[in-house]
Amino acid sequence: MLKKAYETLTSLNLGLWLMAGVMLTLAAGSFSKAGMASGLNDMPLLFWLQRAPLSFSWWLWLCVIFIAILSLNAFFCSIEALRKKGRSIAPHLMHAGFLLVVVAHLLSSYGGFKQQLQMVEGGSIGFPDGEQLLVERISAEFGQMGMMSAYRAELKLNGKVQGVQPNRPLFHKGYGIYLKDVALDPRPVALFEVHREPGALAALLGALLFTAGNLMLLVERKGR
Amino acid sequence: MKWLLISSALLYLASFRRPIFLVALGAGLAYLGSRGLSLGRLPLIGPQDTLAFFSSSIGLMALPFIYSRGVSSGRFFTWGCGLLAGLFALMALPFPTLNMPLPPILDIFWFELHVALAFFAYALFGLAALLGALFLRKGGRQLLDLQYRAALVGYSFFSMSMVSGGIWGYYAWGTYWLWTPKELWTSILWIFYSLYLHLRLKGPGWDRGFAWLGILGFLVTLFTYLGVSMLLKSSHSF
Repeated sequence: MLKKAYETLTSLNLGLWLMAGVMLTLAAGSFSKAGMASGLNDMPLLFWLQRAPLSFSWWLWLCVIFIAILSLNAFFCSIEALRKKGRSIAPHLMHAGFLLVVVAHLLSSYGGFKQQLQMVEGGSIGFPDGEQLLVERISAEFGQMGMMSAYRAELKLNGKVQGVQPNRPLFHKGYGIYLKDVALDPRPVALFEVHREPGALAALLGALLFTAGNLMLLVERKGR
Repeated sequence: MKWLLISSALLYLASFRRPIFLVALGAGLAYLGSRGLSLGRLPLIGPQDTLAFFSSSIGLMALPFIYSRGVSSGRFFTWGCGLLAGLFALMALPFPTLNMPLPPILDIFWFELHVALAFFAYALFGLAALLGALFLRKGGRQLLDLQYRAALVGYSFFSMSMVSGGIWGYYAWGTYWLWTPKELWTSILWIFYSLYLHLRLKGPGWDRGFAWLGILGFLVTLFTYLGVSMLLKSSHSF
């Protein structure tokens, strides 16, 4: 019986059905206005799942269950394939990359953090260990049509001044400080977001592994 | 320079022969080049620029296929590619051009890479659908092999687009993932082609299903690109 369960778990058919299941639940979620508008991006996923009513979150619960079984399916499928000699490792590097990305999401779903802060020049952000980040200067540049073309804030941390601007956050002790918006009138004020994304490194490694496997697969299939 | 885009669209629609297709592609690329030079960046924001970019991506990605020996009915396939590229060039025409500089949040290499790779992938998924339709009409294993190649290369571009999008998101928003309809449909599209590529392992008995799946994939692609932007609220909307 255990052997049969293992064979089912490693089967291609199960993988195909699970992929179909993940697609259907994600599609249902994309049309769920309640699901999208209920703070899903404002807190770690596991906290949201614990708090959101099931009528909002059913599709995500189903999706998480399908992805969990799909991850086991991919893992055991690769183990089985690698036991046999002469098989290409490219698809299994891609599986490993996918599994790392799932782990990354799991880490961020539990340990992620996000908070918005509106700060004026001279204001400060306190870290949990007591360190202070001082907002020294807020500035902006405007284009010909009066649109804001660039903006920047200078932050002082441990006596060192560092600039923060869109796409150039400041990273400190696992936190990222992002400048989201600024206004100069009646006095300079900036909107910051502080993020912690514990899964980011695993996601990057997973992506690199997946890409390496993908490129290997392309080379192997060339001319076939 | 809009005449270049109009010429490209009309030539694509009449591209029963490969030289006409090449001239249409040249006109489309010249239009994009002129837009790029005047803007000082890749023309990748707003419906007109993205539709024109998509049209030229189809033309560019189609080149290896229209010169492939595997396509026995070359003229019909070349015209099919031209029709696809021409339709998207025509769709671009009514929209106004956005001549503003890139908003600061989009002004990063990873954004341009993310969008360009996504359109190359969409184009290849479109070509895979055409090859699937040709297989269902005429048969021939080579067409199905070409469809597989188009989808595999498209999937690779799309995966790299998702990776570059994640890196951009991390620098721009502090996270590589947001729960928005566009991200969900991007994942659906990626999983769809993962399923498609896995289905090949089932063997020749699934050939017709495989061809149909290649066609269905392009419908999912179109919904991901156009449907989500028009029907659902998302950070990726036009």
